[in-house]
Amino acid sequence: MKVRVDPDVCQGHTLCALAAPDVFLLREEDGHAYVASEEVDPERADVVRRAVATCPEGAITVEE
Amino acid sequence: MSGRERVVVDFDQHSPEYKSGFPGLGHDLREQGPIVWSDHHGGYWVVVGREALGEIAKHPELFSNDRDRDKGYKGVAIPAPDGDGRGGFLEMDPPEHMDYRRVLNPLLSPAAVERWGPLVTEVADACIDAVAETGAVDFVDDLANVVPAVLTMGLLGMPLADWEVYCEPAHAMVYTPPNSPEFVRTFRLILRMVESITASIATAREAPRPGIIKALLAARDAGAPLDEEGIEGTILLVIGGGFDTTTALTAHALEWLDQDRGERRRLREEPELLDTATEELVRFFTPAQGGGRTVTRDCEVAGHRFRKGERVWMAYGLSNHDPEVFERPDEIVPDRFPNRHAGFGLGIHRCIGSNLARLTFKTMLGAVLRRMPDYEIDTAGIVRYDDIGTINGYRHLPARFTPVRKEGAPLADVLGRWQERLDAGAP
Repeated sequence: MKVRVDPDVCQGHTLCALAAPDVFLLREEDGHAYVASEEVDPERADVVRRAVATCPEGAITVEE
Repeated sequence: MSGRERVVVDFDQHSPEYKSGFPGLGHDLREQGPIVWSDHHGGYWVVVGREALGEIAKHPELFSNDRDRDKGYKGVAIPAPDGDGRGGFLEMDPPEHMDYRRVLNPLLSPAAVERWGPLVTEVADACIDAVAETGAVDFVDDLANVVPAVLTMGLLGMPLADWEVYCEPAHAMVYTPPNSPEFVRTFRLILRMVESITASIATAREAPRPGIIKALLAARDAGAPLDEEGIEGTILLVIGGGFDTTTALTAHALEWLDQDRGERRRLREEPELLDTATEELVRFFTPAQGGGRTVTRDCEVAGHRFRKGERVWMAYGLSNHDPEVFERPDEIVPDRFPNRHAGFGLGIHRCIGSNLARLTFKTMLGAVLRRMPDYEIDTAGIVRYDDIGTINGYRHLPARFTPVRKEGAPLADVLGRWQERLDAGAP
């Protein structure tokens, strides 16, 4: 599956990193999120879905 | 709601009815629609639906935070205070607001904030030491006011010991209702605080300590379009935002854990719950209850038509209890997750200090649970803010507990030692 964080929508709430700290990393300069790798093991789908559901801005998209 | 049906409700976030009715009154409002109209304070839309709030927050070009008399923009406070001063970058629109945020971001990122952990822990323990042997504490005066204030001084690059200069005015400026007799005193305190900030900027220019003030001055020297008014407003914003909100969250959490001893035990035994519990408490109590906007042009957003010049209040606190988004919205569920709360605001003006708030809150709560596990609030002595429409806070939260031994040095010594380290460039 492909996972993306829209950098224009992310505001650095950091909740995705709470859901899946191995998938979502936080930039040193502003704490905004980025994905460690766009390709994410489908076995991680559950935590990725939790991250999508907890993002207050709706900044994360997933392509199955 | 479709188009421009104007459902008028009797609503004022500064009223006693709001204070006693929060958060339940939001449900009555939402029955009328996600966006309703209040005739108070010159009239304004109140956004109580969580989804509508998210839509509006995505459009800073339509909903301005700015305070600009010429444009008719009135800033984030409803009602707008007298005068023209702006509250730093919170009362700026893009691109100007980003000129300032860009400077602060690296100092407030999760990685940067983590480096302050040891200071926060030592200060929290010193605060508890100061009352440890007496068995009596005012959680607001003795702990929750002190730790965020000291940390904010450190971040700004101001002398740590100066926390006391700013503490009372920073709280009074939010708990004093505008137009109340008390406001005259508060206004004087604020003026003195502003003078002191001006002096600190001058000092920082001569002998800068690492921190936000130095970073702002350096950015301006390097050509960033920052000005004196914006820099002073930003410092005041950091003090206002840093001092009062975390205090409010901590006091609410401690009162909740007085009422629910089972959850107190659970949080002690399962500290890994603290991460989700912190988000849940920010959602449930929402220290910063909302913020005002001014509509910049006729538009339709969230299925609702707005007209140029209208005022809008983003009701973060009420929207955090919207049952369409939050199951069992009026219960505190410490392990609630996902938790799409708007407690730190939404969009480009989202709280820039949220990582600090989390660190400070968790550290203070952890210290209390460790050292005062049996604390009991003296409910007769609880004093909440008269007006919770800006900050849902407390003036006093007294408690008793089984006395314990001091563990470390007095606060003044801790601050002195840390000041030396900070002056040398730490953390």
